[in-house]
Amino acid sequence: MTEPEAAIRVEGLVKSYGRVEALRGVSFGAARGEVLAYLGPNGAGKTTTINILCGLLRPDAGRVSVCGLDVDRQALEVKRRIGVVPEESNLYGELSCARNLEYLGELYGLSGPRRKQKAAELLAAFKLEEKAGAPFRTLSRGLKRRLILAAALVNSPEVVFLDEPTIGLDVPSARALRDLIRRLKQSGTTVFLTTHNLAEAEELSDRMAIIIRGRIVAAGAADQVRRRVERARVVEVSFVQPIEAGPIQRACPAVLAAIPAGEGFRLEVADAHQALMELAAFADREGLRIADLATPRPSLEEAFLSILEEEQGR
Amino acid sequence: MSQLSRAFFICRKDVESYYSKPPLVTWGLLFPAVLILATFLKEPAASLRLAPGIIALTLLFGSTSMAAIVVTWEKRSGTMKRLLLAPLTHRTIILGKALSATGYGLATSLALTLGLAAVLGLRVADPVLFLLALAGGGLTFSLLGLLASVMVREVFEAMTLMNFFRFPILFLSGVFMPLEEFPAWLKPVALASPLTHLVELLRLASSGQGWFASPLIPGLGLACYLVLAWALAGPVFRRGANL
Repeated sequence: MTEPEAAIRVEGLVKSYGRVEALRGVSFGAARGEVLAYLGPNGAGKTTTINILCGLLRPDAGRVSVCGLDVDRQALEVKRRIGVVPEESNLYGELSCARNLEYLGELYGLSGPRRKQKAAELLAAFKLEEKAGAPFRTLSRGLKRRLILAAALVNSPEVVFLDEPTIGLDVPSARALRDLIRRLKQSGTTVFLTTHNLAEAEELSDRMAIIIRGRIVAAGAADQVRRRVERARVVEVSFVQPIEAGPIQRACPAVLAAIPAGEGFRLEVADAHQALMELAAFADREGLRIADLATPRPSLEEAFLSILEEEQGR
Repeated sequence: MSQLSRAFFICRKDVESYYSKPPLVTWGLLFPAVLILATFLKEPAASLRLAPGIIALTLLFGSTSMAAIVVTWEKRSGTMKRLLLAPLTHRTIILGKALSATGYGLATSLALTLGLAAVLGLRVADPVLFLLALAGGGLTFSLLGLLASVMVREVFEAMTLMNFFRFPILFLSGVFMPLEEFPAWLKPVALASPLTHLVELLRLASSGQGWFASPLIPGLGLACYLVLAWALAGPVFRRGANL
């Protein structure tokens, strides 16, 4: 899953904490300007990966480059080019919003006038101008998240790491934040997004990687991830005439289970093509009229849960 | 922009965020002032003799405590991680934090000195040596406080760890009793304490009298502790800052 023009390139990443293997040979990449969603259950290794990519943690083995720079050997240069939005607040509660941004400008080496200008630009872009003088701790959760995201952009980063950016936000704030992430992508920034919100991941990302127990188990666009679990397909069918589930299952060996759902049945099938052929023959033989027939694709959530169950069963 | 100027920015932000708060300033001054007052009420003549020791004590507790409180607090609040994510070397962060804690220790000990000069007539014969000694001592103590705080997660743990070091040296460093009056076997032990060297330097700077005839040996002693604390701070910080 690596790209020639990769903004992020990870190869064979290994990290252990004592006997616990947090990462077991993780490899993936993200192209410049791409949004990569990094998904996985709690404890899968997401935060460890981010910490290594940001230069906070050293891997036991493997190679990591961000913006074409080796994170281990060129950590300061990498830090100059990245922005990080952690899950928890990391700004100074007693400082005002503007001062927080200016202080970070100081740490990133911006000159005095540039710092003030950048802080003003970010406050305007994130609609926080009215709160410029307010201490960070007095902001609502939504406004705090907005300022944390603004703070991650003080250095105009090429790559932004977002760790659960919308967690705990109300609907309008989460939506506003998603719009901001889209704008980041439009401006050519690479976004590395971890989230438990699969709808959000699908909506925002170009590609995704699923990590479970320190291993990447699925990667690609959302459709590719879904295809990974398509062998366990579902067919939804309803008939004009009333009918029980038993005869359907007896007549169609490809139907593994027939579960009544609404007016019809939700059929779990081993092979969609075979099941449809058997269903059509059954309806014809019994003089039944099919009222509705659909082969819904698994949602990303279903695909994720299926992959998770499969991996946990190993 | 150099790493040195970024260390200054960290220091300035800490002063702005933490040290300029009235409760901290009064806490830093109240404790030594009460000590002086107690001594003065019991034996007015002794209070001037004890003044350099109490000033050194103020610096010790002020610098170590503030470095430890700020670093532990920032580790818990996530702002230390924010610093680690910025393009700063570990040494820059250490220097910035140590400078701000030193500034706090210096401010409270100088305020106490001025108070003692105004009320008790304390004289500082060599102000340059006095200031240099306070600056060197403050930096050493701040680095020691920082070392303790990066190894733990809670403020009380940092304080407990530091008290293992602070309280024994309090009674072994000539703060309450001049080195000249120590039994011979205890003098080498006293010299192993950085506070001893600071107290001696302050005594020499204020009254011109001390156990050492010149500031050279206590100056070198304090400098050795400063270099040692600086050398240890790097690897300890690297191991503990992410805790």
